[in-house]
Amino acid sequence: MLRRRITYLVLVSVAVCVFVVLVVMTIMTGLARDFESKNQRWFGNCILSSDSLVGFPYYEEFIKKLGSEDFIEALSPVIAVQGILTYQDTGYQSSVQVMGIYPGKHSRVTSFAESLYYHRDGPLRAFEPSDDANLPGIVLGIDKIRDRDEYGLYYHEPEPLVYSFSLSCFPLTARGSLARAAVGIVNSKTFYYSDDSHSALANVDGDYVYLPFDEVQILCGMAGGEKRASAIHIKFVEGVDIEKGRDRVRAVWDKFVEHKRSAGYAELLDGVRVETYKQFRREVMVAVEMERTMMVFVFSLLGLITVFIIFVVFYMIVSHKSKDIGILKSVGAGDIDVVSVFLLFAVLIGLLGSAIGTAAGAAFLAEVNGLEGFLFERYGFQLWSRAIYAIDDIPNKMDLNVVTAIIASAVAACLIAAVVPSYMAARLRPVDTLRVNRL
Amino acid sequence: MLKLFLCLRYLRKLKLVFLSVAALGLSVGLLVIVASLFSGYIEAIRLTGHEVYGDVYLKPWIEIPECGALIDALESLEEVKAATVVTESYGLLYLGRGNVKGVKVLGIDPDSYSKFYDLENRLLKYRHSSEGRNFGSDFAGKKGYISIGVLTRPDEKTDVYDFDIARQWLGKEVVFTTGAVVKKPTAVRSPEDNNNVEVVPGTPYGERLRTRTLKFKVSGIVHHGIYFIDNSVVYLPIETVRQLHSVQQSKYGGGQGAVKIRLFEGTEPRDAIESVRRVWQKSANQWGLDKHLIANTLLLTADDIQHAFLAEVHKQKVILMLIFTIICSAVVLLIFCIIYMIVISKQKDIAIIKSCGVANSSVASIFVGFGGFVGIAGSALGVLLGAVVTRNINLIEYWIRVALGLKLWKSSAYVFDKIPARIDTAMTLWVVVFAIIAACIGALIPAILAVRTRPIDILRYE
Repeated sequence: MLRRRITYLVLVSVAVCVFVVLVVMTIMTGLARDFESKNQRWFGNCILSSDSLVGFPYYEEFIKKLGSEDFIEALSPVIAVQGILTYQDTGYQSSVQVMGIYPGKHSRVTSFAESLYYHRDGPLRAFEPSDDANLPGIVLGIDKIRDRDEYGLYYHEPEPLVYSFSLSCFPLTARGSLARAAVGIVNSKTFYYSDDSHSALANVDGDYVYLPFDEVQILCGMAGGEKRASAIHIKFVEGVDIEKGRDRVRAVWDKFVEHKRSAGYAELLDGVRVETYKQFRREVMVAVEMERTMMVFVFSLLGLITVFIIFVVFYMIVSHKSKDIGILKSVGAGDIDVVSVFLLFAVLIGLLGSAIGTAAGAAFLAEVNGLEGFLFERYGFQLWSRAIYAIDDIPNKMDLNVVTAIIASAVAACLIAAVVPSYMAARLRPVDTLRVNRL
Repeated sequence: MLKLFLCLRYLRKLKLVFLSVAALGLSVGLLVIVASLFSGYIEAIRLTGHEVYGDVYLKPWIEIPECGALIDALESLEEVKAATVVTESYGLLYLGRGNVKGVKVLGIDPDSYSKFYDLENRLLKYRHSSEGRNFGSDFAGKKGYISIGVLTRPDEKTDVYDFDIARQWLGKEVVFTTGAVVKKPTAVRSPEDNNNVEVVPGTPYGERLRTRTLKFKVSGIVHHGIYFIDNSVVYLPIETVRQLHSVQQSKYGGGQGAVKIRLFEGTEPRDAIESVRRVWQKSANQWGLDKHLIANTLLLTADDIQHAFLAEVHKQKVILMLIFTIICSAVVLLIFCIIYMIVISKQKDIAIIKSCGVANSSVASIFVGFGGFVGIAGSALGVLLGAVVTRNINLIEYWIRVALGLKLWKSSAYVFDKIPARIDTAMTLWVVVFAIIAACIGALIPAILAVRTRPIDILRYE
């Protein structure tokens, strides 16, 4: 049957389909995986957070308790509030997400230290402005202060420039009301630029600023009375399953809440959620997953065309090989034998086409970044403009699961397409096909 | 006539032909849907840009001292239909216990702003009723409109806001805070020299920031259907915002004014920019504004502002169309196979008509015409499929969510709360032409085979 040239066309069709699907799905899966990994590194494995800006008390006690568990590697208390940042040299204002952190602790849980430019090797000094370490420092999300060039790179001066910013917050009492309702309502303080943070997560780098934990605690009124925090970011010991780790943290937390039931402001502990980083960032992560699902659905529809082609080609082969089938059956071959010949043929086409498509896809993916670089240098073409999207290189690492799924789908498509023609072949009667007037 | 008869005869006999029509229909349909979704999205972003920025957008980075005179001067230009000044500032909104949101406050004059943006009909309370409207008095003094996403979040599964919860905010008092610039000069550190401290009076460097707060009543809730606006924008009367920023006391207000200009239909925004620039420079010189500030004024068309993003979305559309076209090109192979089968099985018919003296070109045209017919039928089916899906895309998305629990479209990811699809006629025409040509190409080799059929070989008795 391989002598029929039409078979090669089917092979090409399967190979092209596998090639395109493999390239697109590898890139999309790579982007999704990259995004997931960035989120995990940026937020830690697990996050215990309050859904209210008031925060929750007794966080230090809980950190001590949880820190003694064997599955915990590091913990970082965080205050997350809304603030308004004013650039003092231009008067430009923007609303920001303020994160109060202890840079050393936070760097043990997340990739905060790696995200810094000037203090990458010494995150403990992240909030020290270069010209005067005694001034209060601020680390800005990189997109708040710098623009990406067309290569996705940011320009940094050898030493950080001197910028000052005024940050204002509403200080809230533990009950959520305005702490200074009678005296000016808002807390403001001037901070000096000490570094910027590049998490490579677009909405983080464009919205967040980082300040010393204690400063933010005072600014937003969480330092008075029973001190409060907004969240605790947690890193598990290597090898701990994230879902199981979260369940263990939740169990410790529930016990802790029960223990504190009669303490003051215990009601604030009820609004605290224990989530994995995926749950914590579900709003953005679900969108990426959904795009991948939609792409799979669209490619499945397009795959139908390949199924039609294989069906028609097999139909042609059966029509033209009716005499061969007649002879086979006349020498004793059963219906199942005839069906199995065609199905095996379908599997071989599926495997061979997939092998060609996968090899071509692998070769293309290996060179895709070089190719994009060449196209950009020559014609200014980029698959994604790095000035707009926070994407580094095009992901080109093939995922074994994706490759296996694509090959399995291709073989299954070939088998499905071959079922009806094989059945028709099995139904052929030698007495009809081998009649003298039909030879 | 004979050709048409044969084409129809083959069509009727061969059910397999309908498979190629179906495959072509599916391919064309998918391409039409993808093109329509992208085009609808691009157009929706573009229109939103024109609503948000006007056709031409002028942003001087300072509060505009004499808005009325500037607006009059701009509206006297023959290209300009309307102009309005909007004060933009950022701040925090305290909504109640433990509830603080970062917001963007737009100080607007409702009458002139309504020439740009239909704010009135986006208010929840006026949405389904034309009676009892008092848009002007609802929006004066210490009253303001808040976008729905600032007050409540859309449901995580349905992505729909609970309008009843939002309406409960009507009449409640909220507190807004922002930074304002006051006139008193203060010492700042020179950006050029880290060790020196210098005073630069009369410029933004010489002024000092103070926080200001404003309590106001929520007199309306706005639902735009555009996530980033719904999630952040608060509307206040322009005078209230100007007072908050102490514009009367300071040359350089904390809030920043912007002028939005609507042009007459048919006017090319780029052509109008120079006239607008001349008016602005003349006014700014009269007010004695700093030369650098005049020179650094942003003066752009709405399309210029969004150009980079729109170009990127357009590029993605082209890439996706290209990928799908490569896969869909396999239909050529399908048509080839089917027509090849017809040629092989109908060799006797071909031989008979050739023996009756029909020319080779006529024989070829039967099969190419047959391919063309498949192309036209498949395209018609595909366009129909594409049009039906595109027109009902939101309904389909709704039923997918109901049936499978999958929320495919979220406003937080794609900006709009409805899928903005519109049939891309130009692209649809290209796809149809491509499909018909592809079908004819698929029929070409079988047609050549048919031409090469020799009646003497086929019609021999033995």
